[in-house]
Amino acid sequence: MRATVKDNIAVFTPQGFLDGNSSAAFLSIEDIQATAALKVNMVLVSLKKVIFFNPNGLEAFIKMFKKVRIANHAIVGFCDYDKKKFHTINKFYKDELTFSLYETYEIASLFTSSFKDNSKTVLLYNEDKSQRSAMAIELHDNGHNPIIAVNENDFLEKSSHPTAYDFIIKDSYIGQMGQKIATRVAGNAIIYTIKSFLDVDLGTTFNIDYHNNSLNVGFKLFIFDAYKVVGMNVHALNFFSRLASSAAEYNATICFVGYTFEKTPIAFKETMEDSGMMFFNQMDDILQDKELLLELGGGGTSVVNKRQLNKIIVSELPRFIDATVLIIEMMTNSTAVKKSVQIHDIEVLDKKDKIAGSIGFYGEIDGMIILVFPKGIAKKACELLIGEGIDDEDLILDSLSELVNIIGGKVKSLLADKGISVNITLPRTYSPIDSLIEMSARRKGVQVDLTFNGDKFLFFLTR
Amino acid sequence: MITKNKIDDYIERIPPAPKALKETLMFLNMGELTKAAKVAETDLALKTYLKNIVNKPIYGFRNEVSEISQIFGILGVAGSKQTVYNYMITLLSPKKWVLFKLNASGFHSLQDYLSIQWQKILTHLNIKDVDIQNAITLLPASIIITEALFNEKIQEVKLLRSVKSLDYNTILQRLCHVDLFDICEQIAQKWEMPNKISEILQASSGIKPSHDATINELGKWMHLLLFYELSKPQIIEAGLNDFIDFQIEYVEDIYEEFSTIIGIEK
Repeated sequence: MRATVKDNIAVFTPQGFLDGNSSAAFLSIEDIQATAALKVNMVLVSLKKVIFFNPNGLEAFIKMFKKVRIANHAIVGFCDYDKKKFHTINKFYKDELTFSLYETYEIASLFTSSFKDNSKTVLLYNEDKSQRSAMAIELHDNGHNPIIAVNENDFLEKSSHPTAYDFIIKDSYIGQMGQKIATRVAGNAIIYTIKSFLDVDLGTTFNIDYHNNSLNVGFKLFIFDAYKVVGMNVHALNFFSRLASSAAEYNATICFVGYTFEKTPIAFKETMEDSGMMFFNQMDDILQDKELLLELGGGGTSVVNKRQLNKIIVSELPRFIDATVLIIEMMTNSTAVKKSVQIHDIEVLDKKDKIAGSIGFYGEIDGMIILVFPKGIAKKACELLIGEGIDDEDLILDSLSELVNIIGGKVKSLLADKGISVNITLPRTYSPIDSLIEMSARRKGVQVDLTFNGDKFLFFLTR
Repeated sequence: MITKNKIDDYIERIPPAPKALKETLMFLNMGELTKAAKVAETDLALKTYLKNIVNKPIYGFRNEVSEISQIFGILGVAGSKQTVYNYMITLLSPKKWVLFKLNASGFHSLQDYLSIQWQKILTHLNIKDVDIQNAITLLPASIIITEALFNEKIQEVKLLRSVKSLDYNTILQRLCHVDLFDICEQIAQKWEMPNKISEILQASSGIKPSHDATINELGKWMHLLLFYELSKPQIIEAGLNDFIDFQIEYVEDIYEEFSTIIGIEK
């Protein structure tokens, strides 16, 4: 069984009965290796469709958790259970819970980062004080607003106003947390929370794909929240220097907030400043200073992208279009037709009621695919993923990001057939599409007008 | 990916039930075991299937049974009909499985286990209706149909399922507005199987509860039994655990009773 991957979270959804016999059958050695190789922040096993389980039934998944943690430091655990299942797992493992437990997938996703700028208000209660604090810290680091109930009565009182919270967490547990660096989006800035001593592990705990994707889709300001950093060694310094080089290529800025350098050689600071990195005492020194934000690139102003379409990208264009056409045809059971191909800046005549999705690819070649749809057409294209009669825009956007992810996967496999190895970034969606247009302004690319069932949409390939 | 035309074409290509099978079933319906056995003897494939099936350890016969009349005698009218129906379903199965890692023997085993466990459930529920006993035979047809419709689309389905946990039944329903259980029903009609079989099967999908309380209750038992069997290691390894969506809420109220009948250790 393979996990479904979305928003940097891999989820296994076994069904039926989990016992000692079935458990091992769900996960072959190849499945475990493939999961460990995933560059995700979290690996979950959903118990939503499991009607029976015993300790032996969970064993194979727990072994997989251990391997995944060793390989990529991701958060691991079970989710989507009811109160009874929660108590059963606690009874099985008592004080030996090394993995996490999240009541729902949505609650689990609060503890990791995605591109969504959606800081949530979360009511939180756990009878164990250290658990309460750990959860609150993690939620805060991921950009949410945790409100802690200090005892059962306090929880009952606070939870009697459920509309005051986006989420209520009660039957969850934080095991060994992931060592991935927490990431959140604040306006047009990306904030990474780093802590303790920074060393060679930064290379594995920092999600470089996410960072590259952020650069590629136009983020210009990256802030390292370094209040809790004790110090760093030369490996970490080298890591940041490399980051500064790639940021310079995109005209982006890297800032550090709250780093005291008490236990770090001051020469390190000078090296980092020479590489273009900036240091501030307080987060608000940046986020509340609109002029500075604009100057640093956090105001969302676009700058000229110096990266041009190159010969290899253009020569592989048919593969990109084929991937898009094949997937749209698969999703809609209709024939997709290519109308016109032109090389120019992205051109959307009427931005009203349009939504868009983009996905980057990098490796032997790099670039970005953008799809722009009228809202109604996007809904049609996503019906297989979302079902019929759904008008919720968030759900449509969510499905559009899945759609571009599938297209990205197809591009990857079509290019692999030609011996070109690429990886794909996380998908991103835009509604309205102004930020996309701003980000892609003056980026030359190949624009293809496509139709399926007479409905038009736009494909744009750029670097 | 899969179109309504492809489904229609698939159903169109399913041949009518062979004459010998129809006659065997006719005599079994009349309770004429000897006459039924005589006709069954003329269909060599059916004869071989019956001999192979009943001599498996799961049936628990001490001595080898070789005569069809003997086999029908041991199985009785209901059991014989069930076995003949199981055979009819195997006529649909592919020579080579591609989508699922199955083979003829694995598929037959699944049929056997479903039939035997279904009988246990019906005994517990004190149901002796022959059509209800036979209803279980149509269920594995849904697996064969999935294999037939999706075997050329493995890569596409893989890509789709890598980002969204969608079962084959939902994919089919969303693309063609027809699901696996509707197709099973059409096959049942083509083969003139009693309506009750299709009704129970539709309820057993877990997403189309029947207005008839008895049929609905049987649908729940069948849905849960299917997932009990789909949780067996060899079936999981075949890739069948999530070929349709398990509707846990649908069966929750019968779970305790089910686990007692089947003997699940707590």
